[in-house]
Amino acid sequence: MNDLAVETDGLCRRFGELEAVRNVNLRVEAGQFFGFLGPNGAGKSTTINMLTGLLEPTAGRIRILGLDLANDPIGVKSQIGVVPEGLALFDRLTGPEFLTFAARMYGLDRVTAAERAQELLDFMGLADRAKSLIVDYSHGMKKKLAMAAAVIHGPKVLFLDEPFEGVDAIAAGTLKAMLNRMIARGATIFLTSHVLEIVERLCSHVAIIQRGELVAQGSIDELRSGVSARHDDGQKLSLEQIFLEIVGGERAAVPELSWLE
Amino acid sequence: MVGWLRWRLFVNGLRTVTGKLNLAVQIIISAGMGLGIVGFGVALGVGSWSAIRRSQPAILSGELWFVFLVWLLFPLVISGFGAQADPASLLRFPLRYSTFVLLAFAHGVFDPVAAACLFWLATMSLGIAVASLSALAWAIPAFGAFALLNLLLNRAVFAWLSRWMAQRRTREILGALFILMMLSLQFVSPLATRYGQRAWPWVSRLASAARVLPPSMAAATIRAGRASARGAACAEFAGLLLYSGVLGWLLALRLRAEYRGENLNEARRPSAEARSTVHAGWNVTGVSPTVAALFEKDLHYLFRNSAAYISLLAPLFIIVVLSMGRHGSLHPKGAGFTLGHSTYFPMGVAYILLTVVGLAFNNLAYDGAGLPMLFAAPIRFRDVMAAKNLLHTMVLAAEIILVFLLVQFITGPTPPRVVGVTLAGALWALLMNLTAGNLVSLYFPRKLKPGQMRRQQASGLAVLVSMGVQVFVAGAAALLYFLSRRAGDLAWCGIGFLGLAGMTWVAYRRVLNLVSGIAWKRREALLAELSRPD
Repeated sequence: MNDLAVETDGLCRRFGELEAVRNVNLRVEAGQFFGFLGPNGAGKSTTINMLTGLLEPTAGRIRILGLDLANDPIGVKSQIGVVPEGLALFDRLTGPEFLTFAARMYGLDRVTAAERAQELLDFMGLADRAKSLIVDYSHGMKKKLAMAAAVIHGPKVLFLDEPFEGVDAIAAGTLKAMLNRMIARGATIFLTSHVLEIVERLCSHVAIIQRGELVAQGSIDELRSGVSARHDDGQKLSLEQIFLEIVGGERAAVPELSWLE
Repeated sequence: MVGWLRWRLFVNGLRTVTGKLNLAVQIIISAGMGLGIVGFGVALGVGSWSAIRRSQPAILSGELWFVFLVWLLFPLVISGFGAQADPASLLRFPLRYSTFVLLAFAHGVFDPVAAACLFWLATMSLGIAVASLSALAWAIPAFGAFALLNLLLNRAVFAWLSRWMAQRRTREILGALFILMMLSLQFVSPLATRYGQRAWPWVSRLASAARVLPPSMAAATIRAGRASARGAACAEFAGLLLYSGVLGWLLALRLRAEYRGENLNEARRPSAEARSTVHAGWNVTGVSPTVAALFEKDLHYLFRNSAAYISLLAPLFIIVVLSMGRHGSLHPKGAGFTLGHSTYFPMGVAYILLTVVGLAFNNLAYDGAGLPMLFAAPIRFRDVMAAKNLLHTMVLAAEIILVFLLVQFITGPTPPRVVGVTLAGALWALLMNLTAGNLVSLYFPRKLKPGQMRRQQASGLAVLVSMGVQVFVAGAAALLYFLSRRAGDLAWCGIGFLGLAGMTWVAYRRVLNLVSGIAWKRREALLAELSRPD
């Protein structure tokens, strides 16, 4: 039994001259709520796309729940759920049609697919828009639907790319409740987010990527103690402070704008 | 400022190879169009000269109607009911209302069609000036008012269309109406052949009603002015100004609403719908549950894409049109079947095949943003293609049945042997197209948007391969037909088609087994082309 849900060795990805991800060695244990952080353009989405099979690594190996993604993509994909950056919705379907379709793509039978779709629509508060096409949904509704489709088959590992971006507080609350339920039943969640307050509240472990390289990895407390040791002022640092300290955001000189002086 | 913006957009568009190729194509097309515009200009100038010199006012009226219709309809056909360059996008900047109106108007003046029409009016003025300077004195204000009216009409039409196009539902309804309008034009010739004599009084009445419309009024202004009937000339001219005033008011209504920041959001306001239970998906006999689910999804997509299914219905219209044109009647009797009524069914099936295989060569076109899900899910891409092939086969089968029934109704029974040979040929042609189409769809995909017509073209290479396949199929079918005629029995042709279909079936299965690997290897290219944001 392998305790690692996500494991990468020397993961690299080049786009022509640009090395978007460089020698990333991730270790995510089963059952962790894992936050994958980094500044814009650091390589977060590229990494998550490689982990979910949407992008081929230039080099390196990916193992999900002990299965090698390159050798057994179908085996890996049947264990995971994905909400990619673009949400991957077939927007000319209605919400219920899309959910039953998603369930059947993951091998659920027709009746189970319909039952779970109904439950998820109720849970997400989408049941009263069951006849609308997804193209007519608001952004928050689309996010909730994409999340519902990602969990409908009960994945063991859930990959979420910016799940809270553009989502209002009410929808975010619904999504968080569902993610916590997933963790409670033993699933592993791997998410990227710019909203560090949410990551700090939800995640037990984080990794930080900068310019394609992994610069920190561990539990939030471990990262905090590492950064605090450098300051030694006894103050409990927030994840935002830890993040800025690690990626060097505080040290970067902020240029002045002459007309705002 | 707008000129600089458009220049930067143009220069930035040249950064890619595609952009440079597009520019080269544009230059070639523009050169051809330019020659055509100058040619028409010369013809219109000579026509105007002739109209004044030989006192033939109908020529001038006809020319102005030509300019009017080109100015009004050509931009609509070019735009294909798609989104237009919208001056309202500049409203985020602190513009005065008067500046905004000026910008909206400038968009109309700098339109190539408007420029061509203004050029034609100028050549017509020149022709009139050469014929009679006194006529020119009336032509200048009449043409000026006519040009202003057309500019306002063009802007008003586009402003109101943009308002309707801003929302998906109205955009799709208008798109469907546009296709139906284009299809209905096919009926003009056969209807004229059939009802021409009887319709003539109606046409005359319509022509007399056209006298109160702008092109006729502009011509009448010049005619009356030249005949020294100043009162009548002024009345016609005032009519033109009145039209301009009404159109200006309609345009102002739109522009003011845009300036005030009307909300044309795509998303509908949340409204409580009847809560419905989720239905279990379809169970399609003979295929796996995955293929059944994919088939169900693709069928929903087809029926929610008005442009696609109206295109699929087009062959049925064309068969009716062909039969009307050839016989002048829906129920031909006795003689007149020089082509042979038995050819209608094969011709109809061939036409349907051409329509359906157009979809097969760009299989993934409408999957768009949903495509990553197909790569993230634990399915083989073979199933995705199999479902699409199944859909196209079902559509073809349904259309063949409809054509068969239609042909029986229009031309009488088709000989069973012809039906058999046609079906065998259709089977082989379908398999050929599905086999090639599955590969082409993976190598030369092109994203298309449901319910939209503007820029809705498959990749050039896909079209080229598709044409190659059709030429090969048509050539082989003709050869088989010729050989079977020489052998004295059409059945040989059918047997030949079935033999070819058997061999193609083996190739089809092999290709289907390869597509999972090809799609997995090409997933980045496929996602980049098909799932890119709009």
